[in-house]
Amino acid sequence: MIQVDEKPVKWYQGMTIADLLEQMEDVRFCSVVRLNGRLVSSPKFADTRIPKDAVIQLLPLVAGG
Amino acid sequence: MGHMQLKEIKAAPYERAEVKKGYTDQSLHINLDKTDIRISPIDTAVKEKFIGGKGYDLWYMWNAVTGSTKWDDPENTICISAGPLGGTPGYPGGGKSIVTAISPLTGAPIDSNVGGYFGPYKKFSGFDVIALTGKADQDTVILIDGIESKIKIFAASDLPETAYEMSDALTRYFDEEKPVNISVVTAGPGAENTYFGCLNFSWFDAGRKRVRYKQAGRGGIGTVFADKKIKAVVARFGAISMKTNNPADLEALKTVTKTHAKEINALDPKQNRMALVGTTHLVPIMNDHDCLPTHNFKFGSHPGAAVIGEDVYEHIFDKGFDGCWRGCAVACSHGVKDFSPFTGPFQGKKVFVDGPEYETVAGCGSNLGIFDAHTILEINFYCDAYGMDTISVGTSIGFVMECFENKLITTDHTGGMDISFGNRHSTLALIHQMARGEGFGAIVGKGVRQMKQIFATQYHADAAFMQDIGMESKGLEFSEYITKESLAQQGGYGLALKGPQHDEAWLIFLDMVHNFMPTFEDKAEALHWFPMFRTWFGLCGLCKLPWNDIVPEDNKDTEEPAKVIKHIQWYADFFSAITGKKTSTDDLISMSEAVYNFQRVFNLKMGYGTRDHDTIPYRAMGPVTAEEYESRQERYDTQLTEKYGMDISGMDTNAKVAALRKERESQYEQLKDAVYERRGWNRNGIPTKETVKRLGIDFPEVLEVLEQNGVK
Repeated sequence: MIQVDEKPVKWYQGMTIADLLEQMEDVRFCSVVRLNGRLVSSPKFADTRIPKDAVIQLLPLVAGG
Repeated sequence: MGHMQLKEIKAAPYERAEVKKGYTDQSLHINLDKTDIRISPIDTAVKEKFIGGKGYDLWYMWNAVTGSTKWDDPENTICISAGPLGGTPGYPGGGKSIVTAISPLTGAPIDSNVGGYFGPYKKFSGFDVIALTGKADQDTVILIDGIESKIKIFAASDLPETAYEMSDALTRYFDEEKPVNISVVTAGPGAENTYFGCLNFSWFDAGRKRVRYKQAGRGGIGTVFADKKIKAVVARFGAISMKTNNPADLEALKTVTKTHAKEINALDPKQNRMALVGTTHLVPIMNDHDCLPTHNFKFGSHPGAAVIGEDVYEHIFDKGFDGCWRGCAVACSHGVKDFSPFTGPFQGKKVFVDGPEYETVAGCGSNLGIFDAHTILEINFYCDAYGMDTISVGTSIGFVMECFENKLITTDHTGGMDISFGNRHSTLALIHQMARGEGFGAIVGKGVRQMKQIFATQYHADAAFMQDIGMESKGLEFSEYITKESLAQQGGYGLALKGPQHDEAWLIFLDMVHNFMPTFEDKAEALHWFPMFRTWFGLCGLCKLPWNDIVPEDNKDTEEPAKVIKHIQWYADFFSAITGKKTSTDDLISMSEAVYNFQRVFNLKMGYGTRDHDTIPYRAMGPVTAEEYESRQERYDTQLTEKYGMDISGMDTNAKVAALRKERESQYEQLKDAVYERRGWNRNGIPTKETVKRLGIDFPEVLEVLEQNGVK
């Protein structure tokens, strides 16, 4: 299992951030997540594998400036 | 330097106006030509139309200057206002000052929104707005003492030279026992010797027992301040509570303040963590999205960015509360203690650096090819201490570096310095030169627009190339985002009233990443709504960060998540609670729209404010060079073939650059048309008579300016 926004989500070996978001609803604004505290941006979602027991926060909006 | 001397040359006792529902309804005018102090009431009609903050500043400036006033004419007026909501302790971002003047860089009104306690202290001392005009004949310090109800003007000598030391010395001079009662506005030697001087607004950090400051950076207001021979303006005021603004509904104010602060306390640790890292979280995000200015905005990312972002600064920042206003839950004003510069007058000494924020890291780091967190700290420290805007400094030096690498300028021009990208020693040497007004630094300190002219006329550099790579518009240097792939943000910069600063609109992600505004009309709508709402913060004395940098967890379920409607409702409630005027979210936009259009007409009055002046350099739109094109070849090739339907098989890179340029420049012009129409402006970018009438700013002098510019 992993924690996504403090809720448990089923994890599998090889799961990427892109895989995770694909199975979630209403994540159209999510262009950045924190994976175990580290920022990961959308261009890297498909290549970033989620480790077991990871804690993920979805950053809802990047507002800039 | 001897011991600081302040000789009182004028003292004016006054009866302190009571603050009622966020307003004192009094303005303070200080004319330095005559050492004249005048207090006058603010008309109800002005209050209704201009609200406060930037609105008041612009109105008083409009009446002080003529269309031919230059930045260094005595009648140029620096106005500072806090707005009706400013000075609410505990409300996140609730203590901003808005400063305006005619800019040395643009020749038009410039505005800057800044933290520190000055704005609230000044208001609670009895003045919604202060207007500083004329020029003193000697170095001058002005005190607005709200505790003793006196305005004093001092002739100053032997003051410390830098803002860093002067803020501290004056804080302790004017209230040794309670330094927290003091806020100082000061510039520094760099403001005297460059056109992008900033103002430092201080507060006393009681936890660290030291003076801190934030900067009103953009457009050279510090330069105007120095030109008037003002060394400092000091506000002194005592205890502040939620009652000090004398709100119409104290309980409602407490409720909305607590609600917003509570949400930030709960969500910031899960979202941007600004209370820990400030805005440095943006460095890796912008880098990953190819939006981090690198090598004079040529590229948008660099591997070295990994060592100048939040991962590093989180560990360098001094721990503790870092709000630039009392009780602000965002608390993003971080700093570094015991920093030891390796150059300049503070070499080897231990200093406290206020910053860096994202803009400084990007402008003075990646944009210069400097990927070293400590060098960025040193640049940050000296820019503040000298009173120079880090954004203009970074963007100007980036331009110089690219000119140097392209041999448009050589060591013959730079006094022997190698100013290649990444040269931190030369960068710091240039900054010290700028502050002293010496050597090649004196030329760099004039800003990108003037450098282009000097390099072309005196060094015979390629003017067209410099026009493409010189990152300025309206004379103001770009702030630190790459806009090549976001047409909406190209408009966000190019159509901004004061020049390319992101505080009017920041649409990169909505446009480029999420593709939420595919049509020109969608973009135009965004370039209407966002500037109008963001303007409102400047009218009221607030920071915009609490609005959309921390968002409610259910925001994604709302109809328009980008607007963060829940927070806008809180701002309407905040306005209602203080002023007693029942205010809807739509009312906030209406307030701003009148002031926004008035500023556009003000630009027109000063000889700007038309379509031609909304031009941006091509580098903001697309790749100028073959090197740039080839660095993102797949992206650009795909656009040429799929978006524009071209057969590129026989084209070399230069031909592709030209083809793409033609398309993108055309798009930008179409965007202008769409935005002008949405804003109620004509095709030349001028508000129509119907628009100014609808907004209630159809004063005779406004109509006269419109008519002079062909608006029937």
